[in-house]
Amino acid sequence: MIMVSILLIAFVGAGGTCLVGRGNPRFRGLVASLVAFLPLIILAFLYGRVISIDYASVPFLDIGLSLRLTPLSWFFGIAIAALGGLAIVFSISYMQGKERLNYYYSMMLLVNASMLGIVLSGDFLSFYIFWEIMSWSTYLLISYRGKQALGAGLKYIIMSIIGSSAMLLAIGSLYISYGTLEIPSLATALQGASAWYALFVLLMFTIAFGIKNAILPLHTWLPDAHSEAVSPFSAILSGILVRMGLYGLFLLMFSVLGLNTLNRLSYGAISFNLVLSWVGALTILFPIFIAVLQDDAKRLIAWSSIGHGGYMILGIGVATTLGIAGGLFHALNYAICVALLFLAVGAVEYRTGTRDLNKLGGLMKRMPITFTGALIGSMGLIGIPLTNGFISKWLIYKTLILSRYPFLAFAALIGTWGTVLYGYKLVHNVFLGQLPEQYKEIEEVPWTMRVPMIVLSGFVVLFGVLPGIPLKAISVIQTHLGMTRLETSLFGMPKAIGELNTLNIFFALLVAGLIAYAAFSASRRSRRVSQYDNYAAGARVPVGGYQHSVRFYDQADRIIRPYLRDRIDDFYGWIATQSTAFFEQLRKIYTGNINTYATWIVLFVAVLIFMGLLGWRI
Amino acid sequence: MSTFMRVVWIVTLPVIALLISVLFLGLFRKITARIQRRYGPPVYQPVIDLTKLLTQHSNISHGVMFDMGLIIALAGSVVTVLLIPAGGIHPLSSSGDLLVIIYVMLIPVLGMALAAGDSGNPNASLGVSRKLILGLGYEVPFLLVLLTVMTHGETTSLVNVVQMQADSILSWGVFRFPLSAIATFLILPVMLGIHPFDIVGAPQEISSGPQVEFGGKYLALATIEQALQLFIVIALFVDLFLGGAANLGTFFLKMLGVFLIGIFIGAVYPRFRIDQALRYCWKWPTLFALAGLILVMIIGG
Amino acid sequence: MVAPLLIAIPFLAAFAVPLFSLISKRISYYIPALALFANLVISLVLIPRVMSETIVVSIGGFPPPFCINLVVGPVGLLLAIIISLIGLLVSIYGVNYIKEGPKDKYHMLLLALLAGATGMVLTGDIFNLFVFFEILSLASYALTAYNRDRAGTEAAIKYLIQGSIGSAFILIGIAFLYGMFGTLSMADIASKVGGADPGFLFVSLALLITGFGIEAAIFPLNAWLPDAHSSAPSSVSAILSGIAIETGAYAVARILYTVFDSDGIMLLIAVVGLITLLIGEMSAFRQREDIKRLLAYSSIGQMGLILFAFGIATRAGVFAALFQLLNHMLAKSLLFLAVGYMIYRVGSKKLSAFSGLGKRMPVSSFVATIAVFSLVGLPPFAGFMSKFSVVRAALALKDPMFLWFVVLMLIATVIEAGYFFRIIQNLFFKSGNSLEEVKEAPLSCLVPISVLAALILIIGVYPQLVSGILDAAAQGLVERTAYIQYVLGVP
Repeated sequence: MIMVSILLIAFVGAGGTCLVGRGNPRFRGLVASLVAFLPLIILAFLYGRVISIDYASVPFLDIGLSLRLTPLSWFFGIAIAALGGLAIVFSISYMQGKERLNYYYSMMLLVNASMLGIVLSGDFLSFYIFWEIMSWSTYLLISYRGKQALGAGLKYIIMSIIGSSAMLLAIGSLYISYGTLEIPSLATALQGASAWYALFVLLMFTIAFGIKNAILPLHTWLPDAHSEAVSPFSAILSGILVRMGLYGLFLLMFSVLGLNTLNRLSYGAISFNLVLSWVGALTILFPIFIAVLQDDAKRLIAWSSIGHGGYMILGIGVATTLGIAGGLFHALNYAICVALLFLAVGAVEYRTGTRDLNKLGGLMKRMPITFTGALIGSMGLIGIPLTNGFISKWLIYKTLILSRYPFLAFAALIGTWGTVLYGYKLVHNVFLGQLPEQYKEIEEVPWTMRVPMIVLSGFVVLFGVLPGIPLKAISVIQTHLGMTRLETSLFGMPKAIGELNTLNIFFALLVAGLIAYAAFSASRRSRRVSQYDNYAAGARVPVGGYQHSVRFYDQADRIIRPYLRDRIDDFYGWIATQSTAFFEQLRKIYTGNINTYATWIVLFVAVLIFMGLLGWRI
Repeated sequence: MSTFMRVVWIVTLPVIALLISVLFLGLFRKITARIQRRYGPPVYQPVIDLTKLLTQHSNISHGVMFDMGLIIALAGSVVTVLLIPAGGIHPLSSSGDLLVIIYVMLIPVLGMALAAGDSGNPNASLGVSRKLILGLGYEVPFLLVLLTVMTHGETTSLVNVVQMQADSILSWGVFRFPLSAIATFLILPVMLGIHPFDIVGAPQEISSGPQVEFGGKYLALATIEQALQLFIVIALFVDLFLGGAANLGTFFLKMLGVFLIGIFIGAVYPRFRIDQALRYCWKWPTLFALAGLILVMIIGG
Repeated sequence: MVAPLLIAIPFLAAFAVPLFSLISKRISYYIPALALFANLVISLVLIPRVMSETIVVSIGGFPPPFCINLVVGPVGLLLAIIISLIGLLVSIYGVNYIKEGPKDKYHMLLLALLAGATGMVLTGDIFNLFVFFEILSLASYALTAYNRDRAGTEAAIKYLIQGSIGSAFILIGIAFLYGMFGTLSMADIASKVGGADPGFLFVSLALLITGFGIEAAIFPLNAWLPDAHSSAPSSVSAILSGIAIETGAYAVARILYTVFDSDGIMLLIAVVGLITLLIGEMSAFRQREDIKRLLAYSSIGQMGLILFAFGIATRAGVFAALFQLLNHMLAKSLLFLAVGYMIYRVGSKKLSAFSGLGKRMPVSSFVATIAVFSLVGLPPFAGFMSKFSVVRAALALKDPMFLWFVVLMLIATVIEAGYFFRIIQNLFFKSGNSLEEVKEAPLSCLVPISVLAALILIIGVYPQLVSGILDAAAQGLVERTAYIQYVLGVP
């Protein structure tokens, strides 16, 4: 009952918000936030429980639809509800004065509701239904801004439907083969499946999930969609929505197929997991460096989203205890960090009206909280120790090295340096350097926008210093799935797993920092000077133009750019053009000439009768 | 190691590292001068400089991050020093392995970058951009090397890596992974930012890059931070390839040896351009490092 | 004996329209709605009886097979219900929408068309089927040209020519059958098919399939459709796309399944259906100008899908086909009705003219979106359930070839999504036109389309509502011996 009520609140609330908004727009934001946070509260109380209920049945298919709460769905559910709620709170000010807000809020809530539905689904038909609701509501939200967003939205929904078609094929085939779509029953049934069949199902699902999670080469919708969506939605989109693909893949690989079946899917040394890991590694490598080249803040983060999805795929691809934990944990960490970054960029855009990395600068002095958010978010992405991103990456590297995959580990490690490059570029070009004259007077964003950023920053550091909190939930997932669970303490790993003690590092850094600060303070106080009081080799400092941010990494840019063209996107574009041209030719069969038409009819009969003469029988 | 000794070492090791690295700085200037047939300043010149800078009357700051970045960088360097085993002393190594070291080493880089970025001087930003690009250059071979060592030993702990080399001279990393050692040696000057790779802080082109706005105590702290970086990189090399050391004395001697050879090679080259440096890093060092890794993968651990 | 009323009421009403128009024009316009409402009520009342036993009505007092008989089975009743429902909604819509021309004739022809359609789905006599088909066709030709513009007239003439060729084929086919079996009762023919000369049988089947296939928009017999559906008044297009072609498909299915036990040709039907589907969707994708033409092409595609499902030739396949048929009827008539007023308000059939219409006509656009989602097959709308049924039925054959067919079908879905989602973006997220003058459609439009949208949503969320009768209908089509027994009364 409680499960149904979560979804009911979420879905009915989505519609209700629209009605409230029509009645009295002032309460809209409040109601929307309530609707978004209620499931979070309910879910929080359900920690560690496993519930399964049937909520409907489809008699003509002779199956029931069920909801199922497992530690895995709890983990994702909490992230969905929390991020969704924060994004809604952020929207209250951010969206103020924009058009069609009723629509916006209901769609945001609908996306959240459908994601909750996905993770709470106990069978693949419900899963698919919620999955599609998520797809089209996402499409409607991406297109919300019009203009370039239209192309992005169309690209998204078409790729998404290609993916879900593949999934539908697999689901239909599973249903035909086993007569059930319940996840637990399928898990048992598929143990006896042939390797080819399991591979077929897995591949079909992987297409769907790969498109959502934007793994290479199925990623092309993402950069456009993420950069064109409104920022709070970009945060959801990049933070958690694309990770539904990861959730699905995880569910299928470890909950339905299980490690035994996965291990059977190999040909010599090449196994499905190895291929998946390599795909993950490539997904890290290229997109992260493409991100370095971007000049649009949101596009930069979007590419980084693709890249970091690769870490997660890599983690669950290796499928070791550490890898799985690292992959899942990285999904959570990345969700927090990227949401934070999108919100920060959104805040900047809210005040300055631009997100062009070449036109901003120095905003740290005017928007300190946004700056802190962006900084912590970037640090989290890079994986600086004491941010959450570090722990998950550490787990993934560790397991890659110990499982003797140094090349995969290399891809992951060098990806970090790419992250350093774009992370610093993002922070520097927006917040550091010289403040342009036209932004001299802007203020920090309103508190409803600040609070989500502060909360998210808090979690970045909290999970970085005390990673045991989320890792505990992950080890519960592993126990539930019958895998070896990751032993962890609150602040690091036991000796058996490796040397990591975040609390010690934290205090070491703290003390060292304090000492440095003492040394710093002990000498003479420094005096603040204006940004124009600056060294320019004796020349006057030009007002508003003394900044190095255009083509920030020019030297490297020139060398690496030729290798980083998104040829996959070009290829899809080529296919689209070719097939459109083909359709155009095909359409010309409808000539408009009645003689032709009559001829066709007669020919059709003639051919049929001829076939009859040839001996074709009914 | 008892808790008491550990605390003692935690306090003293950074100080020792600082002394060693300041000495290296002095030596560096002296030796370079001698190679260029100058007399050069005395070896203790850096100490004089630092003292002067720290006591300077006028200090200018460009903002909060300008101050904080420097402090973060310094703290990060100190913690890195504590994580690297030096002559059998490794007070904090159970809290972080080589992977942690790789990441903690980012803190000083980013701290300096943030401080420089906040100075609002394009030369500083340019310097940072160069620094990060250069990092991209040397990280490729360097990570390959580290992966070679870690894969070979099937461990991520630097202490374990050192222990494995303890048997005899022949078990030193430099003999086990000669290719990797060569690769690392080739990128050592890049990592240290010394001649011919002093692109980041090039005084003539971009007015000392990130440090352009640093003066007084800022410059002093930045210099200390740089000196600690010198220590960290060389100490890592010693730990990875020269078997570490049983005591601090030996460790110091090994470091000195590495350092001197490095300078001699570097001093004869003219300064590289940044793209040349990038190509340099991705050519021979990467090839050596890759070959080393493949070899280790084939031969097995 | 209420079943014949289903046909009689619209017929009588059709004649009543001109009579009443002598008294009061205004009243006569409401006659169709009244008549169809009566039809709807009667057919709904019949559900429980039909579900337990097929009703066979003999006309003229002779027992089958010697008379014209009506067979009100689940299939017939199901289609009759939808025909009356959509007919009712379209008549309500038409009261206001049809503003010019000989209005009483419009309403009369509409009723005749619906009477013909109802007759087709209820009759048990193959010649009667032809007669009702002709009534439907003639009414369609006339209605297509209702606007009296060049495009409409041209389309109607093309439609007429092609339809006449088809009628001729049907007639020849029936003549063959009569020559072979000396009977016109479908059940009687069906019971004797086994012993007949297969060559002749095949020829007559070919002729019948072609004849009805023209109405059912099978490729390559569907060239009339884009012209006719796009040039007719929108309410007529809704009927043509939402009722007429479906009855054609019904006729094809009835002939394939009941009259002939034509297993051997089913694969051909599936392939032809698939080709129709792909060509329809591809042509629609390229149609960037005329929205009604786009919808017409999309109808071709959907008919292809239905035919494909019929070609699966299992009970599940027929179930899926009927389900898809039902959903297409609802969604496509909704779309034509909604688009009709949009075109009327904007004054252009051009897609680009609709940019930003979602703000001016929110209800129509919203409701159209639901129909589009349903057509593409997105949950939680009805179209998903039927599309899933098709996939299930095709995969259940466990035939690798059908796996590939499903892949092709899904590719068609992707193409379909491509153009439909473009339209939605056009409606809601594009701006540029000055649409200040544009008002929302009147209630006489909003009520019908909202009812349809509600049905789409309800069936999507609660498919049990229709799955029972659909399953019975599928059974009725597939199990021909039961049909023969019911009609002929032989055990």
